[in-house]
Amino acid sequence: MIDEIIDNYIRFLGSLTVEHFIRLFWFFIFFEFIRYFMIEFVVLNLWKLSKWLNRSEYDKARQEFLFENPLISIIIPGKNEGKHIYKLINSLKEQTYANVQVIVIDDGSDDDTPTIGRDLERAGLIDLFIRNEIRGGKASAANFGLRFTKGKYIIHMDADCSYDRDAIEKIIIPFYLDKMVGGVGGNVMVRNYDESLVTSLQAIEYYDTISIGRSVTSYLGIYRIISGAFGAFRADVLEQMKGWDIGPGLDGDITVKVRKLGYKIKFEQDAVCLTSVPNTFKKLTKQRLRWDKSLIRFRVRKHKDVLFPNQAFKFSNFISFVENITYNLILNFKWYFYLIDMVINYPSLIANILITNFLLYTITNFLKFVIYSLYRTRSNAPYSHFLIYIPGMVLYFGYYLRIVRTIAYLQEFFFKLSYKDPWNPEKTSVHAKRLKL
Amino acid sequence: MEDNGNNIKVNDSVIEYSGFTFLLIDALDSLNVDKVQFNNAVIVDGKDPDFIRQIVRRIRSNNSPDIYLKPIFILKGINIIDPFVNKLVDGTIFSLEQIEFIVPTVEKILTKVSDLKFTNSISFEAQMIEKTINFMYTCDVYDLEPVPYVYAGINYSYPILSVNFRQSEEYIVLDILDIAEREGIFESEYFDRIYLCSNCSNGHLTYREVCPKCGSSNSTTEDIVHHFPCGYVGPISDFKNEIDDQLDCPKCNKRLRHIGVDYDKPSILHECKGCAHKFQDYNVKAKCLSCLTDNGVEMLKGREIRKYKLTKKGELAAINGFVSTSKDIEEIIGTVKFDTFKTMLKYEIERLRQTEGSSNICAIHISNPSQVYSKIGSEVQKGLLKDLVRVIRSNIRSSDVITFQSSSTIVLSMNEIPNRIAKRILEEIIVMLKRLMSTAFKNMEVDFETNVMSLDYKLSPELHIQQLTKDFK
Repeated sequence: MIDEIIDNYIRFLGSLTVEHFIRLFWFFIFFEFIRYFMIEFVVLNLWKLSKWLNRSEYDKARQEFLFENPLISIIIPGKNEGKHIYKLINSLKEQTYANVQVIVIDDGSDDDTPTIGRDLERAGLIDLFIRNEIRGGKASAANFGLRFTKGKYIIHMDADCSYDRDAIEKIIIPFYLDKMVGGVGGNVMVRNYDESLVTSLQAIEYYDTISIGRSVTSYLGIYRIISGAFGAFRADVLEQMKGWDIGPGLDGDITVKVRKLGYKIKFEQDAVCLTSVPNTFKKLTKQRLRWDKSLIRFRVRKHKDVLFPNQAFKFSNFISFVENITYNLILNFKWYFYLIDMVINYPSLIANILITNFLLYTITNFLKFVIYSLYRTRSNAPYSHFLIYIPGMVLYFGYYLRIVRTIAYLQEFFFKLSYKDPWNPEKTSVHAKRLKL
Repeated sequence: MEDNGNNIKVNDSVIEYSGFTFLLIDALDSLNVDKVQFNNAVIVDGKDPDFIRQIVRRIRSNNSPDIYLKPIFILKGINIIDPFVNKLVDGTIFSLEQIEFIVPTVEKILTKVSDLKFTNSISFEAQMIEKTINFMYTCDVYDLEPVPYVYAGINYSYPILSVNFRQSEEYIVLDILDIAEREGIFESEYFDRIYLCSNCSNGHLTYREVCPKCGSSNSTTEDIVHHFPCGYVGPISDFKNEIDDQLDCPKCNKRLRHIGVDYDKPSILHECKGCAHKFQDYNVKAKCLSCLTDNGVEMLKGREIRKYKLTKKGELAAINGFVSTSKDIEEIIGTVKFDTFKTMLKYEIERLRQTEGSSNICAIHISNPSQVYSKIGSEVQKGLLKDLVRVIRSNIRSSDVITFQSSSTIVLSMNEIPNRIAKRILEEIIVMLKRLMSTAFKNMEVDFETNVMSLDYKLSPELHIQQLTKDFK
């Protein structure tokens, strides 16, 4: 049986002409390979070159920053995050940059977070612990914390993360490289990469889409999401916007708001944050359904004005949106179109097409993983750990995440389910829905 | 002399009735405390509560049993509501004609006083314990209960013990009661918990909510408002406009309409008027009204207030005299604690179980301790015990240990020697001790009893000590 399949497949490969190959694998060649390998590869080289050429400016910016020694306020909003805070505070105590004000905001926790927070405050490990007795959602907690900040820059952190020793220093330097930078996103890596299959796959995904993907989009000026786990903002910019709007998806939303004010958004690969990712497919699905809905809610609905010429129109914002919508939304559905195309037109070859697609994606993934490792400043795990998981990425990225994304888009398109997500309190979501926020 | 026809004779403030003399005190300056000891009881002509309290305090805080144990009665029956005084007096009469009703009480108290042997206690703590249990025994009171008392330095008073202390030193009462309980004089149960100043141990504290930054208690408080539609969170003053009483969101300019629907108040914010610091949680400080120290509440000294009951051992200690506490004799250099001695004894017994050696324990007992201790002061008593230990130590090997079972019984080990040798050493020690006593205390006869026993690995340490001391008087 297997011999028969292999013989059949070898015959199939032998019969492939260039035209035939392009016809059968157009989706991979024109979208996946060109966008996520070739263009990315070219841009990565340009980015590296520009970093090398601008190294003296970078050093100058660093010196200027350290000389000025501005106060940096760190806000850590969260609910029931007490158990994580000690680890986070430990990594903050180790920072090379020390002029920081740390504020922990408890959003109506019902565990021992208040006790832990007050202990930390009394012990002088954090500067301020504030609490809302009634949960108001992450945005309200962040906004409440914002009120007490005194720094020139504000860093938003998640309580379940920890940070490289020089993370704060690294995330602030881009503000000194370009005075028009309004926000900088940090690099997020997976701390629990070896906990399960699903965490290993996510670690590879984060290396690819965050460490590399965001470096590319940042260089092209279309970087679109400052992760809530580690993001820095100019305090005056946040003041202009009066902080965060309600979520879920508030980190992507605030990034667009900063862009709309005319400021640039940068990604800093060297500013590393480690986070714990969901360790089961069930938890991951829940998380991704929430994340993916925000594309529709914020890009297609709330900030659709970016796509139309108006007073505040900016080409880079337009491109950022178009790229995002094209590659995440349109191509997501186009993939199904490709699948139907193959099933209808080449039903007898479908097994061979799937095998070839699998091989093409796997080879590309291997190549990307190995070659792009040269463009990542560091990894928090041995690369050898991930090699055996690379074939699994085809199923994870190409099928699992695509299906989850499709479900999320449909849920949000037709049912606006993000407004019913318990991640955000219902009392605020009803207003967001009514006001189309 | 005056006779009012009821066989009551009044002479210079002294009333004679039925063979007893009562000292009548009607003015503070008329009290010469020494006069109390020459009378059988005291009657205070109560004019006002402060006067009564002062008189009673003077008598009960005296150190002489001839004075502090005297029955005290209040005349004219003003309503005594002071709980402290109530616990220190023995009764009330409304006129001198009623004196006959208090005679049985006087008689009973004086009889019980005559039961007591008074010793000179080694330490202050022992003196206070002895004084307290003497009073309880003579008054037939077996419970020592704390009384909530506004004039007490620790807010609770154990009147018969607390009367001996100034307000600023009343916390010592708790230490003394702890010692007495450890000695088996009292047994106790929990009553309440108090907090005392970390600096002066006073309980008069005023609790205040203060700014965590500068400690000022001068602050204002504002509600925090969360506007649901835009997620803005800030103090209510952010939302107030200058035109009307409406609330408008500074972020999205929408008017706030209905609490719980479009906004809520999830918390509050305090602002210090001293340093402008904004905070949510006050620090709670306790200012001591005695020494003015501003204590963090976590720094306050927490103490338990307990109800005490006199034990049988306590009653016997009242009758026979209470000389010293374990703490007093533990402080004597060259000895180990009695518990430590028992542990060492246990190990020695275990060792003998596995080897064929011969070890001994010995005891030296002063059989007339009351006579001895009542004739010498506390410092001399300590000196005496130290001398005893010094003599014993110079006659035994350095590996042997000495302990006090009580202030009159010394127990020591003599390991790895035959029983007859141990007996001979002990005899030599007694000869030397007697010589020491006759030199140091010429007019004092000190009687010693001794016993030596070989260790038997079949018996427990407790049983060894019990058998060793069972025949002592």
